[in-house]
Amino acid sequence: MDPKINLEEIKKVAQLAKLSFKEEELQTFFEDINNIVSHFAKLEELDLENVSPTSHISWSTPPTNPDQPVQWPDYQKILERAPRVSGNYVIVPKIVDK
Amino acid sequence: MDIKEFKDFSLEDYQKLIKNREISVKELAQLFLQRIENVDPYLHAFLFVNRESILDEAQSLDEQLEKANPEEIPPLFGIPIAIKDNICTQNIPTTCASKILEGFIPPYDATVVSRLKAQGALILGKTNMDEFAMGSSTENSAFGPTRNPFDLNRVPGGSSGGSSACVSALEAPVSLGSDTGGSIRQPAAFCGVVGLRPTYGRVSRFGLVSFASSLDQIGPITRTVKDCVTIFEVISGKDEKDSTCAPYPAFQAQEIPSREEVKKLKVGLPREYFSEGVDSEIIESIQNTIDFLEKEGIKLVEVSLPHTVYALEAYYIVAPSEASSNLARYDGVLYGFRAQEAAELQEMYFKTRTQGFGKEVKRRIILGTYSLSSGYYDEFYLKGMKVRTLVRQDFEKAFEVCDLLLTPVSPCLPFLFGERTQDPYQMYLADVFTIPSAMAGIPALSINCGYARSLPVGLQIIGRPFQEGLLFGLGLLIEEGLALGAPFPEIPLRKENTYE
Repeated sequence: MDPKINLEEIKKVAQLAKLSFKEEELQTFFEDINNIVSHFAKLEELDLENVSPTSHISWSTPPTNPDQPVQWPDYQKILERAPRVSGNYVIVPKIVDK
Repeated sequence: MDIKEFKDFSLEDYQKLIKNREISVKELAQLFLQRIENVDPYLHAFLFVNRESILDEAQSLDEQLEKANPEEIPPLFGIPIAIKDNICTQNIPTTCASKILEGFIPPYDATVVSRLKAQGALILGKTNMDEFAMGSSTENSAFGPTRNPFDLNRVPGGSSGGSSACVSALEAPVSLGSDTGGSIRQPAAFCGVVGLRPTYGRVSRFGLVSFASSLDQIGPITRTVKDCVTIFEVISGKDEKDSTCAPYPAFQAQEIPSREEVKKLKVGLPREYFSEGVDSEIIESIQNTIDFLEKEGIKLVEVSLPHTVYALEAYYIVAPSEASSNLARYDGVLYGFRAQEAAELQEMYFKTRTQGFGKEVKRRIILGTYSLSSGYYDEFYLKGMKVRTLVRQDFEKAFEVCDLLLTPVSPCLPFLFGERTQDPYQMYLADVFTIPSAMAGIPALSINCGYARSLPVGLQIIGRPFQEGLLFGLGLLIEEGLALGAPFPEIPLRKENTYE
């Protein structure tokens, strides 16, 4: 069977998902994912033309809350979880070149 | 005290001991800590045991009890509870069995955890799982698999494998798990315990680490149906912190119909769930239960859920799509693991995610990103959502002619380690009977209905939305009628089985 997704597409998707793979890993992923996707072909048996999609099951109208910010009681506790912090800032590697 | 004496204890029984001062809260906690010490080196159900602080907390409850009126203590007073490691627990590590969250300590409790604590429960520890709940065997944990207490060479199911194994082996009286496509019911079945996937929105997801937000639900894993009711009463009900949580009050045991009313229920047997792909000994075991129900005068009808086989495919489009979006937050910036030696930000993202996520998680992120990417959205994600509508309609039609559905939980018995890891699709097939109800958002209860080849067989009861009471009603009747009792698998303490 022809692969549904080719290697280039997988590389592109990996790039979008910010994941990198070694060449040999990529080959296994390529096979696994095509194996899984080949089973999706079963859905072609169904006539879905006039079926409306269900993205979420909801039994009632979701509540609307006032759009007001609420102060987290102890933001320092949140900040402490960051891998690198300086004062009230999170340190990350440089984003732009000088 | 020998732990085996507690084999058939309900939470109410533990409460009586505490109330009558026959055991202190601290002694009870010590009993379970000792049990974990004895058997967890072989099972590896726990990723974290709350050894120090549980004893301090127990001590303080004992002091409260000195002054309190024993009749007024809350229903879970002094009960140690194990929590799946994707549910946030304040000041206790929460890793989702992933390297990317190794060392992460949440600054807050999930709503379910704060509700349990408010009723006097103590957090015993955090249980092992498939990384980010992606798996059906707990083999995908970054910290090594959990073993099935009935056979250490076999998987406990997944993804709530740790939560199920620890309750089965009586390392904990009860636990919480989470179910996205079957992650409570299938491991409960594999370990011979009770597991409930509540109606979508009946239990708050606040503090549950998101996998697929339109499917994830937290539920109890217990030794008896009665204990399942007790925990469900505490954790269910609306929560302002989760806008997908239904605005209805908590479940109450009064919603469970009487024995006479249960016997008037009509139970449907969906023919697609009794197909040739199911282990014949599982069918035999379910048939015994069906025979019992007929004797009790319950009417059984055959029904059809024609889109069952399509639900699995649709699930493996929808769930990875949502996961790929939810897992985008793990970038090494604000919490969790950050890869070292990255010269610039993009490189840090790539290295952090590549080193932090395991294979199955990456597979699903790729699958989900692909399904959502432009050009494939209509072919995959949209199609998945449409099939979800058909699956939901199947159940609606079935419930026009019956009140509940009775099915096997899994087409197979607990399998051997490695048996299905080579072919991801084979692993996905283990969820074929638990996925459709999850896609429809309706409640389902898994209970033990016997043993085949010395391994537990699980039976599933599926109901209409918010009718958990009916599931419990039928579950109690079956549990009492089959009289199998809560499990107590003998765990052989052989050296070569030590988990290292």
